[in-house]
Amino acid sequence: MLKSPALDVPPEPPAKRRKTSPEPESDDNTPAPIINSTVKDLAAQLDEAERKKYVKGRKLGSGQYADVFSAHLLSDPKQVFAIKKIKIGPEVKEFGISYDSLREIRFLQELNHPNIIKLHAVFSTKSQNLNLVLEYLPQGDLLRLIQDTKGTTYTPADIKAWMLMLMRAVHFCHVNGILHRDIKPNNLLIAADGSIKLADFGLARAMADPFQPMTYNTITIWYRPPELFFQAQHYGDAVDVWSCGAVFAELIGREVLFRAWPETEINMVRLICEKVGTPTEDNWPGVSKLRGYVTPSEIIPLRPKEQWSASFRAIGEVGVDLLMKTLTLDPRQRLTAEGVLRHPFWTSEPRPSKLRDLPRRGGGKETMGEDLTQRGGELPTANGEGGKKRGDKVAKKLDFGIMTK
Amino acid sequence: MTSNTISEDDLYRTTSQYRLWSFSPEALASRRRGTHELALQRAWQHAPTSDGASDGAARGSSVDCLTVGEELRLVQRYCNQIRTTSDHFQWPVQVKATAVQYLRRFYLSNSCLTYPPKDIYKTVLFLACKTEATHMTLSEYARRISTDPDAVLAPEYKVMQALRFTLDVRQPYRGLKGVLMELLNMANGMVGEVIDAETRGAKELQASLLDLAKPSSDAKTPWKAPATGSVDVKHLTDRINAAYSAARTILDGPALLTDAYFLYTPSQILLAALQLADEPLSSFYLTTKLPISSDVRPKILATISTCADLLFSFSDAVIISKEERARLEEKLELCRDPSTRDLVQAHAAAMRGSDEDDEAKARKRKAAREKSRQEGEDLFGPRLNGVGAGGG
Repeated sequence: MLKSPALDVPPEPPAKRRKTSPEPESDDNTPAPIINSTVKDLAAQLDEAERKKYVKGRKLGSGQYADVFSAHLLSDPKQVFAIKKIKIGPEVKEFGISYDSLREIRFLQELNHPNIIKLHAVFSTKSQNLNLVLEYLPQGDLLRLIQDTKGTTYTPADIKAWMLMLMRAVHFCHVNGILHRDIKPNNLLIAADGSIKLADFGLARAMADPFQPMTYNTITIWYRPPELFFQAQHYGDAVDVWSCGAVFAELIGREVLFRAWPETEINMVRLICEKVGTPTEDNWPGVSKLRGYVTPSEIIPLRPKEQWSASFRAIGEVGVDLLMKTLTLDPRQRLTAEGVLRHPFWTSEPRPSKLRDLPRRGGGKETMGEDLTQRGGELPTANGEGGKKRGDKVAKKLDFGIMTK
Repeated sequence: MTSNTISEDDLYRTTSQYRLWSFSPEALASRRRGTHELALQRAWQHAPTSDGASDGAARGSSVDCLTVGEELRLVQRYCNQIRTTSDHFQWPVQVKATAVQYLRRFYLSNSCLTYPPKDIYKTVLFLACKTEATHMTLSEYARRISTDPDAVLAPEYKVMQALRFTLDVRQPYRGLKGVLMELLNMANGMVGEVIDAETRGAKELQASLLDLAKPSSDAKTPWKAPATGSVDVKHLTDRINAAYSAARTILDGPALLTDAYFLYTPSQILLAALQLADEPLSSFYLTTKLPISSDVRPKILATISTCADLLFSFSDAVIISKEERARLEEKLELCRDPSTRDLVQAHAAAMRGSDEDDEAKARKRKAAREKSRQEGEDLFGPRLNGVGAGGG
């Protein structure tokens, strides 16, 4: 039977509210008795009640953008969380609460999915800091795992399991009308049970209406699709699918697929031409009309399947087919997240690994601290010694770029 | 989670709009009453106590305070102000709708007596502009509405708190656009079947659309059936487009200036607007979605009708005039909560507080405790075992 969204919804009051959000006193709302001197308004009461539920523990990480603490429920110390306390940056004068924080709060409040980091609550503290109570993911991130070539081995079945979880998360975002716009291995955190969770919605946005322009200056540069380098202002869920394809290739090859160095846009376009093929009117009708369309003069034909197979043999023929379809130049021909999920890859051999068999040592809880304190669009710091920043040069404030100029 | 698929209804039920911001009319009214009474208590608490009276209620009753109804009308007036300001900036419609709902949601847990809407509406509009990914810097915004930038930012955290840190507002605009496109396709004989509901062929659907009864005389659509001859596809296309823009006007006005978003879902609101625009057309559309035999059909139709009644009951004349607004704001001044009068300064103080990290404060406290303990020991010798100082 066709279900209409008009079904079984109000005028009844909502039956189920989120567990973590206390109900307003009662619905007849007899005013609270005056205690001491000040009567707090209802919103302040609720905020305070939320804050008092948690006990903040030690600091897991500290970054320019946020501090992350471990925390537990006052009523049940076994239930642990990570609290991300957003710092007030210099842009507060010109913007107030930052776009990143607002986006993260807006979207995580709406998304409830096993492969997306859960936002349990938000509260503010007296000094007006925003505190996000997030799911605690102590096993680090996928980037650490990929980079730990000496200590961690994983199989094509493991890759399939991770990619399946990632694609489910991305599909869920898309059916909710949300573009993530920053999918990369260090935004994929590993839970205690080995499952992965998509995090960092600081660059996310709701899909725009037709003709409403969006910024092309988004997504961490190595994972950014060609249409954004060509400055398309109208784009859709295909941008995230390209990033997923880049993550897929990185999982297989254990190195960044489009690792332009130095990380300039022109180098990225050159790399994409070399590794996938030069975008032309033939393989991407209309591409030459995009404002930023520039390619190296030598036209490189689309890379044939045999060459893809040679580089990514480990994932098998069906896997290579999927990889090529996620890294298709023309966003209209690229698979959608749903198309990816319907691909025969998932049901072909080998079966995806069971959660309990997945490697899960992507660094420790400090890694979560580090991941959550980063600002969207930045490249992560190197895993290696010396603390050399992998992406110092591109750690620019992506979304503000356009308007602050 | 093991069940096969989630319906659109299930998805809607996970939204914050459903979880926190959907009410029955009774619950909504009592929430507002509760908030109003709480605000009165607050205001009286701070009232000067020269006569030494501590019984706020007794004193308060002698002051002529804004009533719940008056508060509502004042808020409605500022919702309208948000609409005109947002339209003036030519911002996308989502900004306007989001900002209006922010203001309405804000006044479910706050009263005008504590935070007058003339302080708050600029803040919610700027916040909505940010959450809906529309870019304008604070300085430009403040300049264009001739306001001090600090006054825009000062209540921002208060607003976030009142919104319970939920920022997403589900809106009926895109859904209405979808109905328009579907109807146009049907009119052109391009749609024949809708899974599980409609099994007539494309030609038959088109024919029944062409045969549709005329809109009634009180319909909001400006479209009129041709005086002579039968309706052709061109007429039909005009009819659908006219119904769309009439419904769109209702979404931009009555839907934003009533409690519609608190009481109904976006799809109920858009179908109600379409019903007011062109009833035969909207009924036809519903038959393609909801088979006559469906059990839930009567319930859905009844809900859409009550929503339509709410939207219909609104007219621009309900919005209070400038003079009336001034009168209410004067009255408000007499009973307003003095503790929230200077939001800019309160905000600045709070921001200064935030420079000092909680931890740093804790460290300081500990150091001070340690120091006083040491000093205490110097004076009185070491602490006796088991007798706690109980400090801290």
